[in-house]
Amino acid sequence: MALLELRNVKKAYGPVEVIHGVDITVKSGEFCVFVGPSGCGKSTLLRMIAGLEKITSGEIAIDDEVLNDVTASERGLAMVFQSYALYPHMSVRNNLSFGLENIGMPRAEIDDRVNEAARMLQIDDYLDRRPGQLSGGQRQRVAIGRAVVREPRVFLFDEPLSNLDAELRVATRGEISALHKRLGNTMVYVTHDQVEAMTMADKIAVLRAGKLEQFGPPLELFNAPANRFVAGFIGSPKMNFIKGTMGEAGKFVSEGGAEVQLDAARFKTRPNQAVELGVRPSHTSPADGAGVPLKVRAVEQLGTETFVYGAVDGAEDFAMQLSGQVDIQPDTVQQVAIDATAAHLFDLDSGLSCAAG
Amino acid sequence: MNGVWDFFTRTQGRGRLTLTDWLSYAYLLLGFLIILVPVLWLGLNSVKTQFQIESQDLSLLPGDFERVARATVNGPDGREIFVIADLPDWVLNWSDLSAQEQADRDVGAFLADYEGNTLYALRSHLGQVSNAARAVIAAEGLPVWLNRYGALTPSAREAFDLDAVVATLAPEQERLILEYLGVEPYQPNRIVTQALVTAPHPDTGVVMEWAVPNPNATSEFLPGRAVDGAIEGVVRLPRETVVTERNIAPDWGNYIEPLTGTAYGVNVDFATCITNSVLVTVIATLMTLLINSMAAFALSKYTFRGQTFFLVMILATLMVPATITLVGVFKAINATGLSGSIWGVIIPGAATPAGVFLLRQYMLTIPDELLEAARMDSASEWKVYWRIVLPLALPAIAALGILSVIWRWNDLIIPMVAIATNTEAYTIQLCLLEFRGEHISQEHYRLAMTVVSLIPTTLVFVFLQKYITTGIANTGMK
Repeated sequence: MALLELRNVKKAYGPVEVIHGVDITVKSGEFCVFVGPSGCGKSTLLRMIAGLEKITSGEIAIDDEVLNDVTASERGLAMVFQSYALYPHMSVRNNLSFGLENIGMPRAEIDDRVNEAARMLQIDDYLDRRPGQLSGGQRQRVAIGRAVVREPRVFLFDEPLSNLDAELRVATRGEISALHKRLGNTMVYVTHDQVEAMTMADKIAVLRAGKLEQFGPPLELFNAPANRFVAGFIGSPKMNFIKGTMGEAGKFVSEGGAEVQLDAARFKTRPNQAVELGVRPSHTSPADGAGVPLKVRAVEQLGTETFVYGAVDGAEDFAMQLSGQVDIQPDTVQQVAIDATAAHLFDLDSGLSCAAG
Repeated sequence: MNGVWDFFTRTQGRGRLTLTDWLSYAYLLLGFLIILVPVLWLGLNSVKTQFQIESQDLSLLPGDFERVARATVNGPDGREIFVIADLPDWVLNWSDLSAQEQADRDVGAFLADYEGNTLYALRSHLGQVSNAARAVIAAEGLPVWLNRYGALTPSAREAFDLDAVVATLAPEQERLILEYLGVEPYQPNRIVTQALVTAPHPDTGVVMEWAVPNPNATSEFLPGRAVDGAIEGVVRLPRETVVTERNIAPDWGNYIEPLTGTAYGVNVDFATCITNSVLVTVIATLMTLLINSMAAFALSKYTFRGQTFFLVMILATLMVPATITLVGVFKAINATGLSGSIWGVIIPGAATPAGVFLLRQYMLTIPDELLEAARMDSASEWKVYWRIVLPLALPAIAALGILSVIWRWNDLIIPMVAIATNTEAYTIQLCLLEFRGEHISQEHYRLAMTVVSLIPTTLVFVFLQKYITTGIANTGMK
């Protein structure tokens, strides 16, 4: 299939560098998601792979063939745009067949591929309509269909779900995953939504301000974030961070003086190092005895689980995710126990993880 | 039909006409009339006869006054002038008929109903004198020199004794021969047509029919001659008492003659002119649309060095009046050998800065993502232009197409500069000019051909305006 490699790829607009050297290798058949906050350069990176943006330096290669100087129309990739960019003056059928006509495919084969893609995406009823006559979800399918019929070496998706409503987004997410399983193509998917990234990706590349923060499988990013940014970005609800310093023998002391005993072997720290303790809301629980005192601000009872929001010393916002229905009242102080085995430590200055090994 | 009626009877929706409705309808009507009246005026004038146009008859309808014949007969009793009423049209318009039409009429049977001075006048008017006289000469065995006598000089005539010959004839035959020869006092009889009007006699007040030379004259009195011959001489009729009658008679010859190349005194073939104009307009418009849209595509969708410079250059040419470059255009046309050919009109106008600017502004609104999507679909840049940008710019293209057709069709200056030397290559506007020469002015043809020249531009607008109103593409973007 197709092995996609980005080697020290940089992009500059005049003197302003927006991509600062990204190395990513997407193995053949992998579903890779670029995720990051808006303005982080993930779309630019995708457009560089597509050939719509020039590469300032570095190399982009597919199957060891360097594509830097190959135009978009000759790269043989397919892209689904955020706005879908369907040709408004063509019927859905022509939208799908346009790319195949351009590569001089015989008419019969074009018809076969279009009909098959239409059946697969359940748009065969609208083949003779114009895009303007379709709903948002249907247009989305047509846009995907237009990429599918090409049978490209690499699929590129540029935030394809951001124009759909929440329900449709979840459904389409599943369909794209299913499509990937069925086709087995290499796919690169850009989103700012970490839930999409977690649910769909084989590998996630977290980008911030034109830099690759971490690249790996979703659970690796979740369980072993390389830095505070990745830890905060991946996972929902977000990880809690408590500022503090390291005491003796893996003991973390928060700004308010609350102590959490960590497994010293898991971390490489020095005493009195200024750190942040990261713990996911699901790894907290009400403590029987002394814990970290949480000034409860609000409680959300969802029935199967309960969210408790408040503040602790060293963290303005702190959340607990508790299973079941828990009787905690707002405007009280609740002692919180932190699951030390699931806690992370980050250097306060560099933001890097203090995990050992 | 129902829909049209609904459209024209729409109100603001309060059941009855409000002030807004009244104002709207008044405004619509005013606009409608402002457009319609000049066109109607042109159309009606274009079927007026040459006579009516040249007599500067300002009446709205084509046609003429009821006409009667005013006859002048010369004879031994001196000159007699009288009016002959109730003559058929073909007699009144005899001199306008073709030889074939004249031959088709049974003039002998017609003349059999008349006698006396009326007969003499009609006989001359219908050109029967010569034939009848020759028939008499042959039948009576008169000397053959009679046939030549009329053409002889007075001294040569003295060799023949005319009086002795005619004395042998019956009075009617004598008169015929003498009219044929045109000897004193039998000068040629004439019939002219005059307008038939009714007016009261200025003295007696009896309402009666009169023949007047020109009822449109601006003088206070019209000279009238009683049709029934009851009153001798000419009576001054006060203008305001005169009642005229018109018959409506469109003269389609104004159209048919120039289009079939039979128009009198015109040395260009109007059908050729129309063909030339159609060719010029169609080819030039297609070239304009192609070249302008390609330029606009480059200026709106590509980033290249000197982009702004080129745009400014194009806009700058908009600000130079065409008359200033006229000499240069002529020299260029001449130097390239295009002079005298329709290509001399087509090529100089193929790239219009206004068109480039118009299309560029429209193409800027086409989302770049569509072009990028097409490139991802392996489309070449030509395909991007031809299959994506051009169809999406169709409303602007249609607008420019209409403008271009109107520009080319109505253009007079460039054809004058480029092809005035070759009548074969004349466009319609040059042809229209041809109808008004230094010595001859044929406004009746010019009016009719002006109407013909309006038809194509009207049709183009009717058919392309649909693209302007409904062709605006839904971009398919969210």
